[in-house]
Amino acid sequence: MTRPAGLTTGADVTAGLRLDCGVVVVGSGAGGATVAAELAAAGADVIILEEGGYHPTESFTASNLRALRTLYRDGGAGIALGRPSVVFAEGRCVGGSTVVNGGMSWRTPPAVLARWTAEHQVAGVDEAAMEPYFRRAEARLHVGPQDPETVGRDSTLFKAGAAARGWAVVPNRRDQLHCAGTNNCVNGCPTGAKQSMLVTHIPRALARGARLFADCRVDRVTRDGGAVTGVTGHVVRPGGRPGPRFTARARAVVVAGGAVQTPALLARSGVRSASGQLGHNLALHPNATVTAFFAADVHGWQGVHQAFQVREFTGEGILLSATNLTPPQLAASLHVHGRELGMLMADYNRIVTAGCLVTDTGTGRVRHLPGIGPQVTYRLTGATAARVVRGVRLTAEALFAAGARRLLLPFAGTPGVRSPRDLHAVLARPIPRRSMDLYSVHIMGTARMSEDPRRGVVDSYGRFHGVSGLLVADASLFPTPLGINPMETVVALALRNAHHLVENRRRYGI
Amino acid sequence: MRSGFPRLSARNPGAPKPGAPARAVVARFATLVCPPEVRTRQRTERVLAEFGLLLAALPPGARRGLIAAFTALDQGARLYPRSAGRRLTRLGDAEAEAYLRFLLGRPGALSDLTRKLTSAVVMCYYELPDVQDELGYRPQPYIEAVSQRRLARYGAEIRRAEAATVEDGTAADSTAEDSTAEDGGE
Repeated sequence: MTRPAGLTTGADVTAGLRLDCGVVVVGSGAGGATVAAELAAAGADVIILEEGGYHPTESFTASNLRALRTLYRDGGAGIALGRPSVVFAEGRCVGGSTVVNGGMSWRTPPAVLARWTAEHQVAGVDEAAMEPYFRRAEARLHVGPQDPETVGRDSTLFKAGAAARGWAVVPNRRDQLHCAGTNNCVNGCPTGAKQSMLVTHIPRALARGARLFADCRVDRVTRDGGAVTGVTGHVVRPGGRPGPRFTARARAVVVAGGAVQTPALLARSGVRSASGQLGHNLALHPNATVTAFFAADVHGWQGVHQAFQVREFTGEGILLSATNLTPPQLAASLHVHGRELGMLMADYNRIVTAGCLVTDTGTGRVRHLPGIGPQVTYRLTGATAARVVRGVRLTAEALFAAGARRLLLPFAGTPGVRSPRDLHAVLARPIPRRSMDLYSVHIMGTARMSEDPRRGVVDSYGRFHGVSGLLVADASLFPTPLGINPMETVVALALRNAHHLVENRRRYGI
Repeated sequence: MRSGFPRLSARNPGAPKPGAPARAVVARFATLVCPPEVRTRQRTERVLAEFGLLLAALPPGARRGLIAAFTALDQGARLYPRSAGRRLTRLGDAEAEAYLRFLLGRPGALSDLTRKLTSAVVMCYYELPDVQDELGYRPQPYIEAVSQRRLARYGAEIRRAEAATVEDGTAADSTAEDSTAEDGGE
């Protein structure tokens, strides 16, 4: 198994560590790895601290539960408490969520950038200013459409259904170097075709002298007065046991743990935002899945998932796509058990799962509970709930148009539907919010940007208002949800903010 | 046979000690929520083993919560009228199934929790390779085949691009740096 130079894992650490560097980057996902690679390329002395383990490409298998145990935080079972609660997943491994996401890569919609500029007083994020960073991210990560031979039948069926309805459909764009179409994105790409941080910006950072410490959890950001001095933490042993402690002294600290862990780390470090917004404004793009049964075999697990996106309803904040689920994922999503579950699952190869992603508002919150950890709460508003119901209706209509014989809806207590007429009858009745089966892989907005310290936690370049040398570089930065897959926005902002940091390196002494 | 639950307590003081009682509850629950083949094909032990591994991946608070939830599920059956004061693990199949449906039919948190426990256990069942094989889900040979196809079609290009990942001066970088130089600093 390959082991890159510059990598230290928890197993290598047998006693307490004292590290010294210019910049500590906390987290190795889309934001952290990108910042680390850029700063290292500029000659900065960079240390990356990652709580999760180092799992190279050759270790990835098709085992879903193995992936949940090794690559995800909390077994992939994060919960935003509310009515309904929303299950969310975060990566926790070297490469972060980019190792387990679908690799979708889209630029921030211009209207979102315009809103950030006009309503949230974020400077330098207009379309023209961001264009070079998007271009750079796309070139580095080989962003583009799939090779035709990799597209699965579930995607082509769903596309045909949407086309039959007359809806606009676009090929999905991914960070992929000739994706093989293994349909194993969520378990780690077994070919390395997905251009996750594990195979792009992490090796790039290491090749330029950065040091990477895996299995190292940061407990606190340390400060002296109004300036950061580094971080402290501990090595994570197998089973989550705490190992030796470490201290890393640094002139700058970039926190990139994702929109749940970043505000939690800052809160437990005693860092306060004058805006009062740290940990607030959490948005999560709720997803809901419709399960469709077809008469003939589909083999939805063969070929890349989400090969297309239905863009007809983006103006309403709704995206549709076919997303294959593995048997464990599908079984967990069906509201049946026992013999009935066995009968439904026996049709696994004739099932297409498709769903909607809806744009929400920042009604969630992350709190740090001492002794317990981050607690995430989320309130599904009436408007977002209505959008979910409409998204499910549209998804179901496309599936019927594609030839589905029967559908199961993601609302507990609703019967299976066998025709568009059934569908309309079921959805004509109010759908209680608490019955909605929602999940998320896009957590955003808990350390939002604004030039105004009364509104934003950080400024337009990710610098924490009022704490010198402290920066944020993940989806926490987003003042609003995007309505689209967020990875490219995180990478582009990280490129831009790292560039800005390098230009001002004397101020930080890095 | 060795317990499927991780032996956490000795090395992790914060972890619970899921002993035989909790194991029995999960085993009984598995026979209720998984398809009948969990019994007829003697899969319960392997479901428990998967569940134990899943449990070990959770943070200590969630582990304790999950064990507590199963314990409550077991003891809560005593309050269910048709149980005649018996725990879930002591109920016959018909009474246990009725109790489960009663829980799933309750509004709010109780049904939500029961659904989540069900999801956790059925995930473990459908992770078993022989179960997946019965469904016709055989990803490993497929992955190997399409991986070979990828290399056969694009191998040279892939190798060049992978080598360029850590090189300086790629076209992407020079183009972007020309552009970003216009941004200026503070």
